[in-house]
Parts: sequence; structure tokens; C-alpha cells
Amino acid sequence: MRASLERNSTWPVLTAMALTLTLSLLAVAAPLRLPEGQGFPAPFFPLIALFVWSVRHPRFVPPWLIFIIGLFQDLLTGGPLGMWALAYLLAFAIARLRSTEPSAREFILLVARFSVMAGIATLVAWSAGSLSIGQPADPTSLVTEAVITLIVFPAFCWLFARKRERTTFS
Amino acid sequence: MAQWRSARQGADDAVRFSRTLLLMFIALSAVLIAADRTEDRVEAVTVFRAAFNDLSLPILEAAAQPLRGLYNIGPWWRRQIELAGEIRELRQEMSELRAWRDVALNYSEQMRRQQELLNLDPPMPRQRITAWAVTETGGPFVRTRLVGVGTDHGVAPGYPALNIYGVVGRTIDVGARSSRILLLTDLNSRVSVMADRSNARAMLVGDNTDFPRLDYLGRAPDLREGDRIVTSGDDNILPRGLPIGEAVLDRRGAWRVALYSSATPIDLIWIWPFTPVGAPADEAPPGLQLPAPPPEQAQDDTPAPVIGVSQDEPESGSESGEGR
Repeated sequence: MRASLERNSTWPVLTAMALTLTLSLLAVAAPLRLPEGQGFPAPFFPLIALFVWSVRHPRFVPPWLIFIIGLFQDLLTGGPLGMWALAYLLAFAIARLRSTEPSAREFILLVARFSVMAGIATLVAWSAGSLSIGQPADPTSLVTEAVITLIVFPAFCWLFARKRERTTFS
Repeated sequence: MAQWRSARQGADDAVRFSRTLLLMFIALSAVLIAADRTEDRVEAVTVFRAAFNDLSLPILEAAAQPLRGLYNIGPWWRRQIELAGEIRELRQEMSELRAWRDVALNYSEQMRRQQELLNLDPPMPRQRITAWAVTETGGPFVRTRLVGVGTDHGVAPGYPALNIYGVVGRTIDVGARSSRILLLTDLNSRVSVMADRSNARAMLVGDNTDFPRLDYLGRAPDLREGDRIVTSGDDNILPRGLPIGEAVLDRRGAWRVALYSSATPIDLIWIWPFTPVGAPADEAPPGLQLPAPPPEQAQDDTPAPVIGVSQDEPESGSESGEGR
């Protein structure tokens, strides 16, 4: 009974995951038709999506998926290959050093953990990117993107936590 | 129910990150970063990127379409006011351009006569390849656009890309159906340019800012603010005479260029086929490997569902080697 229930709930989750991760990747590369210099810094949508799914279903977010998503982001944006893959992998690895995982209802803990991860990802991406281009890059736009990510993340987290609560007691 | 849920939650939490896998992928990422360094990029990485761009292009194009549609959504009256303003500006511009058209026709006629006198073969009419940008990326590391045309449409690496105002960049990572445009503002962009007024030569160096700087100007460059900057063709990468922008001084007194192409979104792009002029075989130093010319373009039968190929007057770039 339990096995069949789990089997039935796996495919919708995987489908939703594939959809949200694809959309998050498209969101960072989509043309907004803004003149050069007036572009809107896109939040780290793939990191948000990976984090949210890793809290909901940790077993569906293995290291190879994090690597693939980071690699796809590098390829879509034309950035140094491996940069975002390394940033996301290290962010997840360091965040998982803590033995206990915050549950979906611990809103503050989730935001705090994500903030640390976004900070690590920014630092790693800047270091790897600078190494790739052979000189220290101007961190302004990357930091701006990180700040915007932290501003929008609580909304995603709140939506996610509320969804989780509802499904728990239904 | 609560019992079942806690059991399932326990099963979820029990799944741990495989440390071996994690370390393996971290190492793989580091290897990729090393292989994709700007100075010594591995050829396989370029091929892989181009192949990925080809595969992802249909999805990116599909994603870009609604955004283009959204751009036109807005209050009707606001759009009308904008259109009225545009029409006013265009009328004014058109009246000025009529005078320029007469000048251009005059020069064109003179050039034709001189070519006849000198017994020169006029260059073949050029075709330009039109494409839409399907991705838009900025940030501190890279400034590129992905367009939906590639070798199937006659594009080769190094072709100049322009929008309606001026040069945007040049093609890199060319796949069968996609190419990436390296913008002039990108850190890896180097283009030899000159001032239209004084012929003062310089190198336009992208530094990931919106105003690329002018390097190698010499001690007392004959340059003024507002001078029109065009490609000089000296580098044999871009043809001579393509409009780049206007010279401006930054706060530190260094020369930079306000790009013409920044006046409008880099959305519709024209790619101009350009074959660099190779050094004469007898003048080439022994052992020097000359760049292989791009493949023959079959542009006459270029299919154009999203893209268009249009006939243009011959441009000065065709004689860039002869003029120098």
C-alpha cells in the first residue's frame, strides 16, 4: 500500500521538478529586450528551485542533478563552463555539513540556510569566473543578483512552506 | 496518517548526499573551468558549446516568443503617444537623410566612374543574414547573445554582427543552427578602430562595462569627444568602416566609446559575411599558418523561416585589404 502510494506520488513530483528547473534556467537566459546597460539582474532562480526541491524531497536532488543544472546555466548564458556547477555543488555541500535538516515549517532557518548558500555560491562563482577570465571580475552585478535573490527568496519559501503544511494534513 | 508521513519523511532524510559523487562532480567542474579558460580554450569545449546551443535553440526560441509579445502589451493610449513621438522623430530623421542620400549617390557614382577608369572589378553585392537573439546574458564574466542562425545559413566564426545602429560584436561558437555573438563590451572582445574625422587608430577593448575603452591610442591622439568611431579593418577581423560609436572621456580622463548599438535592445541582428584577406603567399613568413578562409557560403538558397537574407549594396569592407 505504502509502496504503491509512493510510486503514484513520484511521477507528479518529478514532472513538477523538471518543469520548475527548466523554467528557472530559461528565466536566467530569456531576452528581456532591454538596451545594453539597462538589463535587469536576474535572481539565481536555479539555486532557488534546487533548494526548494532539496527541502521538499532531498532524495530527488542528488549531486549529479545539481551539477547538470549548473552546467546548463553555464551553457545557456555562455559563461565559463563549470562555474555555476561548482558554485551550486559547493554551496549544497557546505550547507549539508550541518547534521540536522530544517523542516519546511522552520521559515527563519530555511531563509538563513539559503542566505548562506547564496553567499557561498556567489563567492565561488566570482572566484571561478575570475580564474577563468584571468583577472578579478567586477563583482557588482553578481552581488546585485545575489541580493535580489535573497529579497525574492522568502516569497518562494513562504509559498512552499504553506503548500507543504496543506498537503501534510490533507 | 501522521505515522505514515513521519516514516516517509524519515526515508527522505535518510537519503544522504553521496560524498564520493559530490567530490567527483566538484573535481569535474574544476576540470571544466580549467579547460574553458579564455587564453587556452580546448577546441572540444567550443564544439560542445555549439552542439548544445543547436539542441537548446528550439526551446529558447519558444521561450523568447511570449516575451516579445509581452513587450507590445500595454495601455493603448500610451502606445499611441509613443508611436506619435516615433513618427515625429522619424520624419525629422528622414528629411536629414534625404540630403545624405544625395551625397551617397554622388559618391557612389564617382566611385563607379573611378573603378571604370582603373579597370577594377566591382565587388559582388553582399548579403546579410538576419537573426533574432534568443538569449540575453550580462553579468561580470560574459556578454553574449545567442542567435538562431549557424553554418546552415552561411555563418562562420568571426563574422561581424550589427543592429540598426552599429556593430554589436562578432560570431563565435558557431553551430549548425545557432551562433553566439561576442558583444563589443565583453572582456574578450578586441577590435581595431579609428576615428572617422582624424583616422586616429586605436584598439577597442571590452571590459564588461557598457563603455568599452580605447587602448593603444598613442601619445597625443587626435581625438575629440563626439568623434565617430568606426572599424579600421587593420586587424583583418572586421571589415573597415562599420559604425561603432562615439568617443567619450570617462571620469579618469581615459577614452571610451559610447556604442551606437546600445541605443536599442540587441534583438534583431544582421550578420555580415566577411572573408579576411590573407597575406600573399610569397610574403608570408616561412612556417606561418594562414587562417583558413570560411567555407563557401551558399546564401542564395538560404532558407529563412525565422531569419531573412536580404540583398545589400557592396560595403567598403569588401576592399578592406586593398584599401590598406
